[in-house]
Amino acid sequence: MSSSTGNGPPPKPWEGARASSGPAPFKPPSPGSTSDVVEASGTAKPGEIVNTPQRNPSAAGTALARPVPTRPWEQTYGSSYGGYGSGMGYNSGYGSGTLGSYGGSYGGGSYGGGMYGNSMYRGGYGSSGMYGGSGMYGGGMYGSSLGGPMSGGYGMGMGGPYGEEDPNNPYGAPPSPPGFWLSALRVMHGVVTFFGRVAMLIDQNTQAFHLFMSALLQLFDRSGMLYGELARFVFRLLGIRTKSRKVHPEGPQGSGHLNATHGRNHIEGPKAAPSGSWDNVWGEDAVRGN
Amino acid sequence: MPFFKTPFNGYAVKFSPFFENRLAVATSQNFGILGNGRLHVLDLNPSGPITEIAAFDTADGVYDCTWSENNENLLASAIADGSVKLWDLALPPTQNPIRSLHEHTREVHSVDWNPVRRDSFLTSSWDDTIKLWTIDRPTSVRTFKEHAYCVYSAIWNPRHGDVFASASGDCTLRIWDVREPNSTMILPAHEFEILSCDWNKYDDCLIATASVDKSIKVWDVRNFRVPVTVLNGHTYAVRKVKFSPHRESLIASCSYDMTVCLWDYQVEDALVGRYDHHTEFAVGVDMSVLVEGLFASTGWDELVYVWQHGTDPRAP
Repeated sequence: MSSSTGNGPPPKPWEGARASSGPAPFKPPSPGSTSDVVEASGTAKPGEIVNTPQRNPSAAGTALARPVPTRPWEQTYGSSYGGYGSGMGYNSGYGSGTLGSYGGSYGGGSYGGGMYGNSMYRGGYGSSGMYGGSGMYGGGMYGSSLGGPMSGGYGMGMGGPYGEEDPNNPYGAPPSPPGFWLSALRVMHGVVTFFGRVAMLIDQNTQAFHLFMSALLQLFDRSGMLYGELARFVFRLLGIRTKSRKVHPEGPQGSGHLNATHGRNHIEGPKAAPSGSWDNVWGEDAVRGN
Repeated sequence: MPFFKTPFNGYAVKFSPFFENRLAVATSQNFGILGNGRLHVLDLNPSGPITEIAAFDTADGVYDCTWSENNENLLASAIADGSVKLWDLALPPTQNPIRSLHEHTREVHSVDWNPVRRDSFLTSSWDDTIKLWTIDRPTSVRTFKEHAYCVYSAIWNPRHGDVFASASGDCTLRIWDVREPNSTMILPAHEFEILSCDWNKYDDCLIATASVDKSIKVWDVRNFRVPVTVLNGHTYAVRKVKFSPHRESLIASCSYDMTVCLWDYQVEDALVGRYDHHTEFAVGVDMSVLVEGLFASTGWDELVYVWQHGTDPRAP
């Protein structure tokens, strides 16, 4: 398999130094190769594949002191992301039970075993619009997935530079395009993976995300927009028209001073308005003509 | 020292244990969220730019890599599609990867070669498991499944070929012996996810952990109720932690706060160096085993820096 083997690297700087500041709580090392040692201990279990749903039968016995977070790609609702809307959005988008269980069964299925199956599709999927292709994979794979992720991407990709090396494809030829449902499942798998990875990043950067949101809020607050605009927005939702539009047209007739006051009022709120501006909010004033 | 620009976002950097001027860099497109990956092998030149001697492409992001300890041309890489790939520098790109191992069902996040026994390596994955592989077998020898959440890192004890530690998002650090059916120790080391761990090279009972809680803690496995020390100074999650191969008490770390920090955990003002040369998340750091004080780091700004401790990484 490889050109030169046998000789180890130069000695490590720590070799020869004292081993430990006291007796170590480890069993003395066993002689022999790793596989021999593990087999002799009776713990070997070659090639075990742990599927997502049947994970951790023994984890319960390990006395975890705290609740374990839900996996981003399995959870249904994002309780672990704090109260921010965007985080919740991700989770409700991808985290339905169907998608989660799909990830498990599909991964163990016949197509999941393919060497580049899932990931190739994922690459193609991303580039169809978001990022554009690049590198040696570009040509066939990305180009075709642009055309239609449901049909073209997969087959063309296999014809690419890695086609011949796929260990699960003894014929070396592109397989027939997958059926509609298989393609659809693959798209969903890609989406689950995508949001799973994004959610993992957010998980690891909770503080960063929090800081970003605080900075944003502070920015709006500084500019004096936030609460005024928010109030206006709420009013509009309730079907209440704010007076701003109606104040302006009367400008030419009113005194300059008054007009200026009104102009400011619709940003700062009605409290300093000279003539019952709370009434204006209710729209009747427009009829009354103030 | 010069820097090297990678086309994708950096994820890990590792010095070769055989050649003092060689390093490998794992990179992923689009921040590792979506797209391809590439494994670079770089050579440092005493006077001149860093040159690339090989690059291997993958169909998903490369999250980590490790050099073989018994073959200077062999590299193992952790791929985001759940595979583990072995590459041989002596073979042309068309014959690489020489092996692609598919057993993990989620992203593989770390890979570490056994420096003592040299014939095996560990991978840890988001499928909550750790797998032990040997180079002479096409399947894993054993799977360690006890963690209740993603395992971000599994690292061999540098003095004991049967013992390793794993850091997980379930907030525990576990110590394992490959001959034991279960973990031998469980350290509830942090209140938040643990992203990385590393053994002290001179005291095989000491281990450092890095967490989303922004701290690094040093633990003694003989008495793990309280940490030996807590290193505070990073302002965001600490992504990777590494003990120096040359100085017993020196620790390097990198963080989402975009800095690489150096610590001496035995002195009061533990933070002995802070490098802010990266302009995005700093996610990979390594110290040369062969050249004392030589550092390398990579990050999402697609740059690999190599520098001597005390010098400016950006200095030409």
